[in-house]
Amino acid sequence: MAEDKRYDNVQEEIDSEDTQKDKYLTFHLAGEDYGIEIQYVIEIIGIQKITDVPDMPAFIRGVINLRGKVIPVMDVRARFNLPDRDYDDRTCIIVVNIDETEVGLVVDEVSEVSDIPESNVEPPPKTGKGTGGQYIQGMGKINNAVKILLDVHKLLFSEEMMALIAKAQEDHN
Amino acid sequence: MSMEIDNDQIEIIQEFVTESQDMIEQLEPQIIELGQNSDPETMNAIFRLFHSMKGSAGFLEFDHITRVAHAAENLLDLIRNGEIDLVPDHVSLLCSACDFAKDALEQVDSNYTDKMMAPAADEMSERLHQAIEVAKGGGATIAAEPEVAAPATEKPTASEATAPEPPVEEFSFPDELPKLEITDEMRLSFVQEGNELLQNAEQGLLAWGENPGDTDSIGDIFRQIHSFKGNCGFFGFSQMEKLGHQMESILDRVKSGSKLAIDNPADQLLAALDFLQQATNDVSDGKEGLIDNLEEHLHNLQLLVPPLLGEILVEEGVKPEAVAKAVETQKKPVGEILLEKGDASPGQVDNALKKQAANLKKAKAESKPVIRTKPPAKRQDIRVDLGKLDSLINLIGEMVIAENMLIHNPDLKGLELENFNKAGQHMSKLVRELQEMAMTIRMIPVSGLFRRMIRLVHDISVKAGKKVELELIGEETEIDKTVIETITDPLVHLLRNSLDHGLEPPDERVAAGKSEKGTVRLQARHEEGEVWVTVEDDGRGLNREKILEKAINKGLIEPEEAAEMKDRAIFNMIFAPGFSTAAQVTDISGRGVGMDVVKRNLEKIKGKIDVSSAAGGGTRIDLRIPLTLAIIDGMVVRVGTTTCIVPTLSILEAFRPVLEQITNTPDKQELAKVRDSFFPIIRLHEMLEKEPDSKNLDEGILIVLEYQDTHFCLLVDEILGQQQTVIKGLSDYIGNVSGVSGCTILGDGGVSLILDVGGLMESIENKATKLIQA
Repeated sequence: MAEDKRYDNVQEEIDSEDTQKDKYLTFHLAGEDYGIEIQYVIEIIGIQKITDVPDMPAFIRGVINLRGKVIPVMDVRARFNLPDRDYDDRTCIIVVNIDETEVGLVVDEVSEVSDIPESNVEPPPKTGKGTGGQYIQGMGKINNAVKILLDVHKLLFSEEMMALIAKAQEDHN
Repeated sequence: MSMEIDNDQIEIIQEFVTESQDMIEQLEPQIIELGQNSDPETMNAIFRLFHSMKGSAGFLEFDHITRVAHAAENLLDLIRNGEIDLVPDHVSLLCSACDFAKDALEQVDSNYTDKMMAPAADEMSERLHQAIEVAKGGGATIAAEPEVAAPATEKPTASEATAPEPPVEEFSFPDELPKLEITDEMRLSFVQEGNELLQNAEQGLLAWGENPGDTDSIGDIFRQIHSFKGNCGFFGFSQMEKLGHQMESILDRVKSGSKLAIDNPADQLLAALDFLQQATNDVSDGKEGLIDNLEEHLHNLQLLVPPLLGEILVEEGVKPEAVAKAVETQKKPVGEILLEKGDASPGQVDNALKKQAANLKKAKAESKPVIRTKPPAKRQDIRVDLGKLDSLINLIGEMVIAENMLIHNPDLKGLELENFNKAGQHMSKLVRELQEMAMTIRMIPVSGLFRRMIRLVHDISVKAGKKVELELIGEETEIDKTVIETITDPLVHLLRNSLDHGLEPPDERVAAGKSEKGTVRLQARHEEGEVWVTVEDDGRGLNREKILEKAINKGLIEPEEAAEMKDRAIFNMIFAPGFSTAAQVTDISGRGVGMDVVKRNLEKIKGKIDVSSAAGGGTRIDLRIPLTLAIIDGMVVRVGTTTCIVPTLSILEAFRPVLEQITNTPDKQELAKVRDSFFPIIRLHEMLEKEPDSKNLDEGILIVLEYQDTHFCLLVDEILGQQQTVIKGLSDYIGNVSGVSGCTILGDGGVSLILDVGGLMESIENKATKLIQA
């Protein structure tokens, strides 16, 4: 898998644990830059064959085989109701682990690991409208650029989220 | 208990806790059995439980546990010796003693002390003592031996811990004990305990052999051998007992500081120990623990023990009483005393001394150095952390997939690789074996779980005033350990319901023409690639009308729906939370929580529940549990670009239909005529929302599937082949998906869903009801 090589240096930074504080993995999604706390990230893999699972909300794309483990994959674009875009060779799956649950997040492109000290993080905008707003942990500033820092926990486990999954299953019945 | 506890101690304590817990679990059912038939074997087993618990607790300074165990032991001892009669109160008392011990062990497990249990221990031992007193007062016909009566009235202390001799040490009066039938379980515990004792003795001997001056360790070795001998005697392994006895005499001699034929007999004792080990191994193989050339070994050991001067003097004609007296007052050598007193002539003493010296010399010459041939001890089991086991099993699962990807690697396609294929086949076979082995590791028989229910049924039947016989069937059925843990609570609730609501009181049963005693059957078996655990009673059955009434009251269904509902649907409503038809809430059940717990726990392990019931004829509840991490034989089928697995077990046949076979019903259900039956058709592409090669039935394949007694057809594009598949759960994050029981990883690394035939069946039913409603 040649395309994975590109992320080798990113991977290295992920692996060294003591440097995790204030570090965020940043990625592109529909023209914006996002970041998630590095402590949740296990690895980054290129896009691969996803097996559909019936009765799932559209943003749960299905499951993949991660070296023998079957993990579900969430399309973050679809999650935020952003327009669909075909997967290409820049599309990545960020594998995160929260409370022993591993989930893959499909994003347009992974950029880098950035240092954003607490002092540079602004609280999320109060008037966050739309689906995405409540999953924002803060706005990270690096020089002039702004990264939307996502709360991974809320992204995966918010009540609304679980209700959506349950609803999709019920609808089918 | 000192406040500082180091890691070693914690380990010992933890071992003590798990061991004792195991023992209690094992023995609780037997205590209840005791109420029904007090056979001496059960009695002894229970006695041993309390005795060993007392011993270990005493050693670890858990005084409260020691106290209660001791009191229980006293009671049992009296009953065993026939001095008091066993009454039902005693059984409940012993049960509560077990409960106390369980609580105390939990305390110990978390806090490493049993101090918190002091009030409970006071109460418990007081109750036990009272029971003894009461029983004694009533059954005073037998003159109680004072030393047995004493502990009943005294406050027991730790120092008293060894007061009543355990039965195992009454080896010298084997005739008084009833002839024992040795069960496999007893044999096992004998072997386990024996191995431990022998190992301790061996370590002691080795240490002593290196450091002969250390006399403290002798006492310890002596005790180990003594207990071992006692056990042998108890089980009737007389040859082992004899050898053990001989070793004991030698050690006794060493302990009292007498001279032996050689300075340090550790080697000889070790050799003898090896024979005992060998014999113990034999016992574990079901043999009688015989020792080859026993006489020779005994003789060899005897040589180590030169007769005492006094004994030789007696041989020489000195009065035995005089010698004994001299030995008692012994400060100077025995010979001198006897001379002074004029009880022996100088000649006699001289002769005796010479003889002694000669004996010593002879013995030294004869007791040749022994070469040890050490047979390894047989290990029966080993405790392993469950987490380690799980990661091992996960690793093996991943290896199976890796192996698949390697052997079926697309890069190898079309290459002539004879040797590679051979090696590959060999590896596949090994991996398969490894996996099967790994899967059995986690499986444990349900007997432990079932036996726990004996106690529950006993308690409830007493409380509810009902007569119940509990039948256990299929105890040897093995289920994954986590599954067993998950179904424990459901079983408790189901049994409670059966006993409290299902079974009628005795008079009502007699009036209904049934036997006075109700029967509750607990059964485990393998069926349709699942494990079925069934709770069945012959009570009054579920009340259809009452359930419907309640369901309508609670707004679960509309009154008009009621008439059309099938029995199964009605009975399934009892699993709704808060649903109870019981007129009054008893302390056993009736709040409507239980069945909800049953359902939830079963969902956790992807199990299902089937209820069937006949008014007046009883209720039967099947818990259907999938074998977790099982391999199933699966048929790989294709719809468009998607592949799925259908469990081969459920497949009856597959065929390409002709249009004449297909009928469309007015409610838009397609039916296929297979010989004389009509089966509904499920289109897999519809379920998966995929684009198939063709939507025409006559261009696809219909697979006839069976679920319980119903059949249906599944439309697919193509059958790709059969394959053994490792079931993997879909991620917890996704939860249960109807119609899908899990997934597997195919040779190409892709994930494929495993279809759940039962779930598909339900989806037909749901579709039908929806159509009716619409």
